[in-house]
Amino acid sequence: MSRHALAVRLLPIAAVALGAACTDATAPQDSAVPAFPALQAVQAPDVATLARAIPGFGGFFLDRGVPTVYVSDDGQRGAVERALGGFARARGFAPSQIHVLRGRFTYGDLDRWVGRVSDEAFAEGGVVFVDLDEAANRVLVAVEPGASHAKVRRLALRLGVPAEALVVRETDPVQQYVATLRDRVRPIVAGLQIHFGNFLCSLGFNAVSGGQNSFVTASHCTNVQGGTEGTIYYQPLQSVDPVSIGREVDDPVYFRGRGCPKKRVCRFSDAARAAYATGIPFALGGIAQTSGPNNGALDITGTFQITSEGDAVVGDVVNKVGRTTGWTQGTVTNTCVNTGVSHTRIVQLCQTFVSAGVGPGDSGSDIFGLTDGSTVRLLGILWGGNSAGTQFVYSPISNVERELGPLTTF
Amino acid sequence: MGESRGGARGRWPALAAALGCCLGVPTPTVTAAPLRPNSLRFVVVAPRSVRLGKPVPITLRLTNAGKRKADLFLLGRSVTFDIIVAGPDGRVVWRRLEGASSQQILQVKTLAPGQTLELKDVWTQRTNAGGLVPPGVYTVQGVLPTDAASLQTTPVRLRITPD
Repeated sequence: MSRHALAVRLLPIAAVALGAACTDATAPQDSAVPAFPALQAVQAPDVATLARAIPGFGGFFLDRGVPTVYVSDDGQRGAVERALGGFARARGFAPSQIHVLRGRFTYGDLDRWVGRVSDEAFAEGGVVFVDLDEAANRVLVAVEPGASHAKVRRLALRLGVPAEALVVRETDPVQQYVATLRDRVRPIVAGLQIHFGNFLCSLGFNAVSGGQNSFVTASHCTNVQGGTEGTIYYQPLQSVDPVSIGREVDDPVYFRGRGCPKKRVCRFSDAARAAYATGIPFALGGIAQTSGPNNGALDITGTFQITSEGDAVVGDVVNKVGRTTGWTQGTVTNTCVNTGVSHTRIVQLCQTFVSAGVGPGDSGSDIFGLTDGSTVRLLGILWGGNSAGTQFVYSPISNVERELGPLTTF
Repeated sequence: MGESRGGARGRWPALAAALGCCLGVPTPTVTAAPLRPNSLRFVVVAPRSVRLGKPVPITLRLTNAGKRKADLFLLGRSVTFDIIVAGPDGRVVWRRLEGASSQQILQVKTLAPGQTLELKDVWTQRTNAGGLVPPGVYTVQGVLPTDAASLQTTPVRLRITPD
């Protein structure tokens, strides 16, 4: 730990104590600690304060709930009880019940040694963490299984840390938890996995329509493509979070005639709108960002922000983020294509083709162009792709709003 | 709305019966070993030989051969599958999904132990360009897109004999 961390080491304990104080607001203050602010009568003093108040102070912790203090000087019980009596009472202990243990090292020395070791140990490799172990009155260095203990001990000696003050222990590496496009993510942004019935799709973009907080996905990502049946959505899966995020509220029916090829039914967009359930947090204009385009990564590393809407022309480079193939990027190859949907009677009118990766589950994804760093121009909703997964088809945003009405998307 | 669901599957039983009756379809070929190393057995079933110009019934069978249920993540509201027919020189002459734009929705389908998913279609012996193929020995392979790697059958041989 770093030296400046010393003052906040006991914050979790303090929070617990504060919680106890909140349920017992009439608990008497400890009049024996006039040097401390009133709040500290029930909140653990920070270690810097304890180090000043208790000569030879070597650390403070809870031993199976009992306040326990290391001191190097046996004659300091009185100082311990004055400094921590209020905290002990707040936890249900009399000051006399505070355990006082003989410590070999002062907190100040340990803190200084931890700082030195931390500055250099990580460069040795295999070091997982460096800690001032309050419960052991020692400097603790944890290394990965198989890493050299001797190397750490030599380093500590060189830095002036007494051998008996150091504990080296093996532990598993600490893994950083990273949310993926298939995880539960709040606030909800575009590109995340959504679930309804027995199907998975991607969330296209958040929108406000007539004052209703909403998201847009593909029309075929509803119980019935075309027509509003109130499809219930979950994110990422009902089994992960059984609280529904929203309900389908607008999915225009497919039509015949009016430019639709004979014996076919048509729409200008494969898009539907769902209203967010009350209390579901979402980020208007937010699109999940992964580490880069066309690398297959699904870990979320940031957020794109929609700042405009527009149309693409042949040759434009456009992007999508979806739950199956992540962030893919490619060139627009065809625009305003009347597109038959494989093995159906549906023709989607005036769609855009892009030469970029796609896979099952990407339906409903956002399509966007990069404008400046992480700001983007919203272009449409992905719904289709070829069998090789190398070309996707999307409905332009102008078509989407033609059918769903005006949408506030950023 | 008017989306057709499982059209090929729906048409197939009657057509298969008719073909079996009138064309004298011989014992189907079944792949000997599935390519899936786990409990899923995926095979393509096609006639060993057919006469030139006659429709070729093709069935893909995905079976859960394990003792536990298997959750499959498959493409399409109706399960989308591909069939690839290659000529004697190995070049693909017909793909069921050639040029198709498929909806990229992911269907979660659970197969109980021993349960089989059957997917059926008919190849008319025409190339994707529309011409009739000549007699010869062809291979037929089934492909099932998923949200990871596609499932693929081992190809089987199909002989097209002159009239």
